[in-house]
Amino acid sequence: MNALLYSDRINIGKGMNLNLIKSNKFKSNLISIYLIMPLNRKEATMNALIPLVLKRGTSKQTTKLDIERKLEELYGSNLNININKRGERHVLRFTIESPKGSFVREEDYFLEVVKFLKELIYNPYLEDGIFSHKYVEQEKEILKRAIEGKINDKRVYAVDRCIEEMCKNEKYSVYEHGYIEDLDNINKVNLYERYKTILDTSPIEIFYVGEYDDGFVGRLNDIFAVDRKDVLDIPREKIASIIQTKNMVFEEMDINQGKLVIGYRSSVAHEDPLYNPLLISNHILGGGPNGKLFRTVREKESLAYYINSRVYKYKSIMLIDAGIDSINFEKTIEIIRKEIDDMKNGDFTDEDIEISKKGLINSMKSIADSNYLIGEFFLSKVLSNDNKLLEGDIEDLLKVKRDDIINASNSLSLDTIYFLRNKKTE
Amino acid sequence: MIGGKVLDKRVYKNDKTKEETIFTQLDSGLKVYIIQKKGYNKKHAIFATNYGSNDNKFIPINEKEVIQVPEGIAHFLEHKLFEEPEGNIFEQFSRIGTDVNAYTTFNQTAYLFSCTDNFYDSLKLLIEFVQRPYFTDENVEKEKGIIAQEIKMYEDDPGWRVFFNTLKGMYFEHPVKIDIAGTIETIHNIDKETLYKCYNTFYNPKNMVLVLVGDISYEKAIEVIESVERKDFDSEEKIIRMYPEEKKGVLENYIEESLITSMPLFAIGFKDENINCVGEEFIKKEIETNILLDMLFGQSSEFYQELYNEGLIDGSFGGQYSGYKHYGHSIISGQSNKPEVVTDKITAYIKTLKKSGLSKEDFNRIKKKSIGSNLMGFNSVEYIANNFVNYYFLDFLFLNYLDIFEKITYEDVLSRFHMHFNGDNYVLSVVKPV
Repeated sequence: MNALLYSDRINIGKGMNLNLIKSNKFKSNLISIYLIMPLNRKEATMNALIPLVLKRGTSKQTTKLDIERKLEELYGSNLNININKRGERHVLRFTIESPKGSFVREEDYFLEVVKFLKELIYNPYLEDGIFSHKYVEQEKEILKRAIEGKINDKRVYAVDRCIEEMCKNEKYSVYEHGYIEDLDNINKVNLYERYKTILDTSPIEIFYVGEYDDGFVGRLNDIFAVDRKDVLDIPREKIASIIQTKNMVFEEMDINQGKLVIGYRSSVAHEDPLYNPLLISNHILGGGPNGKLFRTVREKESLAYYINSRVYKYKSIMLIDAGIDSINFEKTIEIIRKEIDDMKNGDFTDEDIEISKKGLINSMKSIADSNYLIGEFFLSKVLSNDNKLLEGDIEDLLKVKRDDIINASNSLSLDTIYFLRNKKTE
Repeated sequence: MIGGKVLDKRVYKNDKTKEETIFTQLDSGLKVYIIQKKGYNKKHAIFATNYGSNDNKFIPINEKEVIQVPEGIAHFLEHKLFEEPEGNIFEQFSRIGTDVNAYTTFNQTAYLFSCTDNFYDSLKLLIEFVQRPYFTDENVEKEKGIIAQEIKMYEDDPGWRVFFNTLKGMYFEHPVKIDIAGTIETIHNIDKETLYKCYNTFYNPKNMVLVLVGDISYEKAIEVIESVERKDFDSEEKIIRMYPEEKKGVLENYIEESLITSMPLFAIGFKDENINCVGEEFIKKEIETNILLDMLFGQSSEFYQELYNEGLIDGSFGGQYSGYKHYGHSIISGQSNKPEVVTDKITAYIKTLKKSGLSKEDFNRIKKKSIGSNLMGFNSVEYIANNFVNYYFLDFLFLNYLDIFEKITYEDVLSRFHMHFNGDNYVLSVVKPV
């Protein structure tokens, strides 16, 4: 197979797939395991707490210290466990990356890495058959701090708040790290129960990027295949294309720079032929330093240092965000509205289209140079039930016509304006 | 054969990483390094000058008197180079699908791009725009508003503030204590004349380096560079930079600021007093110190686990060394509701270790881990290019970075420990919630 990127997908159990991506250009092997859960308020905090508790110990390495030392012994293998939302799915990811055996003069040690990862997920440290009270309580405190820490990065905070306000009545508004008020009711018993349910019912996707042969695939299969009964079928997100209520939300903070976020809804789903045109429209508007917004808001008017727009694939929403002085709020909104109207009226050049296509293709081809992004790319394919190759995606993008972009732009309607403003100038 | 004569071309190979670098120096004095990454779609180029925010006092080329330039001017100049008579250069890069960017540090200004197609056209554009300054009163004024927003963004970033306050508290005179972007007041004083002075002094090809990483043809790249590079720079003048004499010890022991943040952030800066070295000597010191910090404060240390269990620190805790020819410091940072308690524990811990010594087992494990982590860095064309540039200015070929690890012994790290943590050479910087 001479494709830019190709994945061999093998079913190894109910709701469980092994995706193998052969590559010899990296100095490491990488394995990512994704547990896919529905996103909802009730379980979000527990889901977010689990990776923290798992990092505290396994049945063999019973403390965090033991785990860290084990990883160091495995030539600095990099373990990363995290949780985030992809549309209305809450996805728990375990990734481990290790230097290839040939570089460290120990050819076959990667199997030991894989076994360690399996241990970490399936054999956590338990006391009397449940999670350790001490670990759970300590990590509740760590999670509480992380949730409180939302305000530390003002830009991310503003984007999260805009989504929260905009999608108030949808699951997508649920915060991926959970809620402080939900922590009180979590204990070692119900958390462990929740984890068992996750392991029993979540669709599991495993991605391996590196060199392999049939023998290695067999070993992976032996290590990861488990017998399960009922695996969840997680429904696709709903797309609310009709704006329920137009929102304008202001919040004040003692800061130097205001953070503006504007949320638009599009009726174009990612399965829709107009989705690629929507991506191009977004790129022409705010995809980079040649975007319309950058050219006007920053270069012409000197109002902002950063301004971007981004499409959220699974929910078909588009967010524009910028850091501006509070006094320039109206002026900035007006410029953004005009630029959106221009997109709807077809007021952009053929060159804008070409530039955006090239820019998007550049990023798509770059995926193949990062073993981590390769895993992410194929996961996104799984989540969107799309089995086109990267080449197919590029071809489809190249086919997009001007009228499609105008149509896609006209699917955008303003939903929410969120502004985190400066207390000082008021 | 290029342009009718043979250039001095050298090939370096490294056994550990299995990477290869081709080096050449052009007649203009510009040095070019090409690191081959076969099978990669992405190609990355950095064109950098040995000029950063620290170089704020110097003798401009063809002049005799030392001048002091406004704080933030190197960074301002970086922004302004994107300006061309016919508009800004972003559009031309975008047309060929290439992402262009730049950054300014204490010691260098770097212009870079990343692309999968049209590499040689992008390379041409990069050299052309960096070598073609176009400053007008009007475009300089316009930039002040944009940079003011950049400065304000950093003013609201508690992580950035706690870091900069550490430098401010640690140094008496050295310009590393000055914000790279300057302040809204200092950038107000920047004009096109001073920008040209800085440009003409520091953007001489002899003071620059070009690093290319990816599946790239040496011949083609050199041909493109030679066809567009400027050859009219004064090649004989030497750049005279002035750095103040820095006293030993630290200016302040404690520095505090209030910002919107969920819990206090802290950073403890230990000033390095074994400075003024470059090349392998510097790299060795840097690696020794980072191994040491990892042994003492890393997640696999008993100390880390003890403080974590007591709820004093979280996953953000750790230490890192950074420095350059004339300065250096280790910064241990994190979040804590009790930064003073953490600091006391750190100083007491250092005292105890001075008596008991360090663990040889820890040393071996951390060394093994560091080699693995650095090796994996070579997966990324950006990582390779950034480090190549950075270490080039320190007179070291990054290709051989991993070899230095082999030379470092337990005794080296122990002696570094005794020298670096020598008593009162530290400052505690805290950012408290409003």
